[in-house]
Formats: sequence, C-alpha cells, structure tokens
Amino acid sequence: MIARVAWLFARPGSAGVATLALPVTAFAIVTGLLLTVLGGAQTFWTWTDDIAFTYQLLAVVALVLLVVPLASLGGAAARLSARRRDDRLSTLRLLGATPATVSALAVVESAVLALAGAVGGVVLYFLIVPLLALVPFRGEPLGIDGVLLGWPVLAGVTAGIVALAAVSAVLGLRRVVISPLGVRTRQDAPKLSWLRFAIGAVVVLVSFALMGALQVAGSAIVLIAILAAGFGGTLAVLNLVGPWVIRLVAKGQARRAKRPAQLLAARTVLESPKAAWRQVSGVAMTSFMAVFAGVGLAIVDLAGAGVDRESLELFTDIRTGILITVVGSFLMVACSVGVNQAAGILDRRDLYRSLDMLGMPEATMDAARRRAVMSPLRITAIGSALIAAFVMLPLTGAALIVQPLALVVIAAVLAAGIGVVWLGLAATRPMLARTSAAAS
Amino acid sequence: MSSFVLEASGLVKTYGQTRALGGVDLRVRTGESLAIMGASGSGKTTLLHCLAGIVPADTGSVSFLSGAGRVEVTALGERERSRLRREAFGFVFQQGLLIPELTAVENVALALMLNGMPRARAEEYGRGWLAALGLGGLEERRIGQLSGGQAQRVAIARAQVTGATVVFADEPTGALDSATSAEVMQALLDSTTGQGRTLVVVTHDADVAGRCSRIVDMRDGRIVGERVPAGAAGSVPQAAAATGADASTGAASEVRA
Repeated sequence: MIARVAWLFARPGSAGVATLALPVTAFAIVTGLLLTVLGGAQTFWTWTDDIAFTYQLLAVVALVLLVVPLASLGGAAARLSARRRDDRLSTLRLLGATPATVSALAVVESAVLALAGAVGGVVLYFLIVPLLALVPFRGEPLGIDGVLLGWPVLAGVTAGIVALAAVSAVLGLRRVVISPLGVRTRQDAPKLSWLRFAIGAVVVLVSFALMGALQVAGSAIVLIAILAAGFGGTLAVLNLVGPWVIRLVAKGQARRAKRPAQLLAARTVLESPKAAWRQVSGVAMTSFMAVFAGVGLAIVDLAGAGVDRESLELFTDIRTGILITVVGSFLMVACSVGVNQAAGILDRRDLYRSLDMLGMPEATMDAARRRAVMSPLRITAIGSALIAAFVMLPLTGAALIVQPLALVVIAAVLAAGIGVVWLGLAATRPMLARTSAAAS
Repeated sequence: MSSFVLEASGLVKTYGQTRALGGVDLRVRTGESLAIMGASGSGKTTLLHCLAGIVPADTGSVSFLSGAGRVEVTALGERERSRLRREAFGFVFQQGLLIPELTAVENVALALMLNGMPRARAEEYGRGWLAALGLGGLEERRIGQLSGGQAQRVAIARAQVTGATVVFADEPTGALDSATSAEVMQALLDSTTGQGRTLVVVTHDADVAGRCSRIVDMRDGRIVGERVPAGAAGSVPQAAAATGADASTGAASEVRA
C-alpha cells in the first residue's frame, strides 16, 4: 500500500518539477563533493614517512570544515523534499492513515530522492576524477589510481546520504504525525538569551589565552591539540552567538526600517534568527577559515625562503589544500542557500501570490528575500573573521594578520563567499516570479 | 459622466480546456456593494480576478473609473495593473493572507509604504484604521496572536488604508463562524460602502450576499441572474442602486451609516 501511495505522490504536481529536481540536485552535489574530497585525501593514508601524519591531520581538518556546510546542505535538501508533501500527508492523516503509514511514506519518498541524487553524485565524482587526478601533492599529480575510491566507500557514502535524508524526513514530519492538522501556527517570535553571548565571550577569551600558551608548547602534538581546541571552541561559539547577534541587529533594523523591503527582511530574520543563521553558517566557517588561510599563506610565504625541499613542498600543498577546501565549501554554501530559498518560496506560495494580487512589485518581494539573507550574511562573515583574527592574534601577532598577502586572501575569500550566496539567491528568483505570478 | 466604477463586457477566460468565463457583461455602480454568487467552479473568482486586473481576460474589456478618468484595465501592462491594484483597489481574501512576521499595524502600514508613504505616517494611519475596526490595543500583536475574526479585520484595514476606490473580497468570511462572520461583514460594509466606496464580494454564503445591495448569480462562467436582496444594510439605497443614479462621492457621503 505504501509503495502505491508513494508512487501516486511522486507524480509531479504544479510545483512538482522544481521540488523534485532541487533536492535531487543538492544530494548529487553533496555526494559528489564528499567523494571528491575523500578521493583526494585517501592518497595521504598510503604514505608512511614522517611527514605523512601532518598531511593526514590537515586532511582531517579540511574534512571537518567541510562537514558543516555538507550537513546543512543535506539537511536543507531533505527538508525540501519532505515539505513538498506536508499538506498531502496531513490530508492522509485526516483520512485516517496511521502515523506509521505517514512516517513510512515520508521516509520512503525522501530516501528515494536521496538515492537518485546520490547516484547522480557518484556519476559526478567519476566526471571529476580526471581533473582531481591532476592536482599535485608533494610535487606530483595524485593520478587516477590515487583518487579512485573503492566500491565499499562509494556504497557507504551513498547509504549515508540516504540515511541522512530519511532521518531528516522523520524529524521534519513529526509535526504532521503528532497533529493531523499539522500546520505551522507561528505565534511568538523566539527569544534568545543574552547568556549565549556571555558564554561565547568566555570561550573566545579562553581560546585567546590558549593560543597565547602556544609559544611555550613543547611538542608538535601539544601544539596541534591546542590549535584544534582553540579552533573548535571558537567555531562552536560562532554557532552559539551567531543567532543571538543576528537577532539583535535585526531588531534594530526592524525599528529603523523605512522601506517595505527593509521592514519585511528584518521581520523575516526576527521570525527565526536560527534559521537565518543556518542559511549563512557555512559562510561563517569559510570566513573563519579565510583568516586562517590568509595568515597561513602569509607564514608560508615568509618562511618560503631558506627552508628544505620537503617543507617547501608541504607549504605548497597546504596552499593547494586550503584552495580546495574553500572552493568546496563555497559550492555547498551556494547550493544550500539555493535549496533553502526554494523551500522558503514554496512554503509561502499563497502569501507571495496574495502579495502580488495586492500589487506588491515582485522586485520588492525579491529585495526583501535577498536582504533577509544578505544582512545576516554580512554580520556573520565579518564577525567570524574578526573573532578568528582575535584568536589568532597571540599566535601570529598583529604583524602577520596585516600582511598584504593575508589581507588580500581574507578579502578575496570573504568577497567570494558573499558572491556565491548572492548567486544562490539570484538562481531562485525565476522561481519567485513563477510562484508569485497571480495569473494561475 | 457614467456612474459605473467598473464596466466589463464580453469577458472570456479559459484555463487549458476549461472555460472559466464564457462572455460576461457586468457593470458595478459607484458606492454599491455587489455580491457575486455561485457554486464552486462557476467562475466567480475568475470574474473577480479579471475585474481587479489580477489576470488578463482572453477577450473582452474591463474599464475602471478612477479619479483621473476612465482607465482601460485590459489595455494595461503587468506593471501598470500591479500599480492600479496597489493604489486604487483593496483586497480581502478568505485566509486573510497577512504577513505572519509583521505586527498588525505593520501589515496595514505596508500597503501605504508600498505607495511611498513614510513609515511613521503610514503606521499612524494604520493605527487609526485598526482602532476604527475595534482593534485598538492590538496593534503590536503578530498575526498568529490574533483570532480569525481579528485577523480578517486587519485584512480589511489593509484593504482600506490606501483609500481604495473599490474593495474586492473573495469569500471574506469563509473561514469564520457565523457570529464572527456577521461582525466581519458589517465591518467590511461600514468601511467601504459606508464611506462611499464600492465593494465587490465573491461568496457562496447567502447571509453574506444578503447584506449587499445587489447580487449576481453565476453558473458555468456566465451570469444567470441578478437580484436585489430585501433590507440590505449599510449599502447604497435601493432606488439609487437600481436606477443607477449618480452615487458620486458627494451623494455617497449622505448614505454614510
């Protein structure tokens, strides 16, 4: 029975093609990028010399950095594929379907979409392999054999993506299962405690102190542990403080707003500062990384003269690694903004249509939507970069952070990060136009 | 000068294989409250959308008598129609369709801000309208914190705050219980025909239609009958409505309830 109803639901409706294609594409990109990174990194584990450990460690750092935008994109895709069916699943519930049937349907549908996307992602990975093989590490290209993953890894990643989608579907639809009416009754804007800020400030200060202690660290392991703690702690803080700061700024913006788009945008952010943060948190990671990358590259550049060949190679490879990680995370952030926006537009279809009937220009709707993302994005990108610079200060000193090369890299990475989010927004504008068009 | 605020002739609209309107002629008098009745699928909402310039008709014409003269709605482009809706028309939908993130007063003020009015003044007007509709003290509530009837009155305030010449309402009481429905309908009439403005309401509720000054019945995309309900309250006097006598602003102010 479940299979039959699932098939009936799968037939595209009025907005069907987009809601099917978007999550599938997003899942494909997540899978493709994840496999690409794994393929590139696996070579490091075949090395057995002294320096191999450094490479493995750096690869793990890069993977961890990519996991955040990866998870957020996967989650967004899963939410979108689940949302498409919210209404119809509610109806099914009203018609008497059991919660088990509804849950099973949601899981089956999301999982099938994720599977389709993941398979596409594997194909994408195979298309990237020839390019990936050209990337040089330790002075020579990785080679096709070096970057080809075994079947167990391919199957494992595919299964993981499908599982992620299924779990997200279950979480997203709990609402429908609990209440047959399953409607979002947005009543109170959420309040976020100032405690978030207090905790955040403490952790940043501790990280600052830890970094200061680096100079007296005896061994490389202690050094790396302190670096990881400072790095991880500050990232966790960003997640804690981000929504709070975004809400604070939006509150002021709502008060001062003069034009309709400004007011709408500020109120949209206030409606859910956490959702606003989720959309841009990927960029927080990248802008955080931008500072590390900028300073790291500046150190490499300064240290470049008069070191042995192996260190020089390592420096070059760090540069390559940073580049790959930044590009990968940007791709995912752009996709995740696109998918989130698509879901948001579909969610508010009726409202957009009614605003169009009232005569609100589409440009105003688009401006409001753009602002609701770009304003938290600016706060996030700049705020994260400042915090990262502060934490790095004891380690590197102000002189390195203001190195021209470091500043150029930081600025370029920030600009690119903001640019890709803007692209993600622009890509969904035609969808807004179609959705709001009253002539339907 | 003609006293018809809206004149439609020969309206035809098809969606795919479905003929939603099959040649409709309709004239709406200034200051009247007109109910369009019919079963689901009779074409009443499509007619409202064509009259309001939301969707263009395939053939036929709609003209609107604005302060500056007669406007051929059917000849306007998308952008001009959008502007016309914003400046001259007001809308009330079944579900209210207010913006959930905004407060009550911001929802109302937004309509004015879209026409370029500064926010402080727009909110002042908004407060005035909310108070007039019995919502004083609820200005800062978000839409989710209001009852269905209250939300619908916010929607009425939003439709009226720009001084709309014509208010179009699509099943404005469809989601309300009968007592609240009567209150909302009264508020809608008071703020439109009660102020000399025109109300066009699509409904399948006989009680709602009975409060209007004129009813047209639709079936299969055509108007199949026209009635004047007995004892319509808060509307243009029967005689004036039935004869199409001049109900310009001056005349209308005399019938203010």
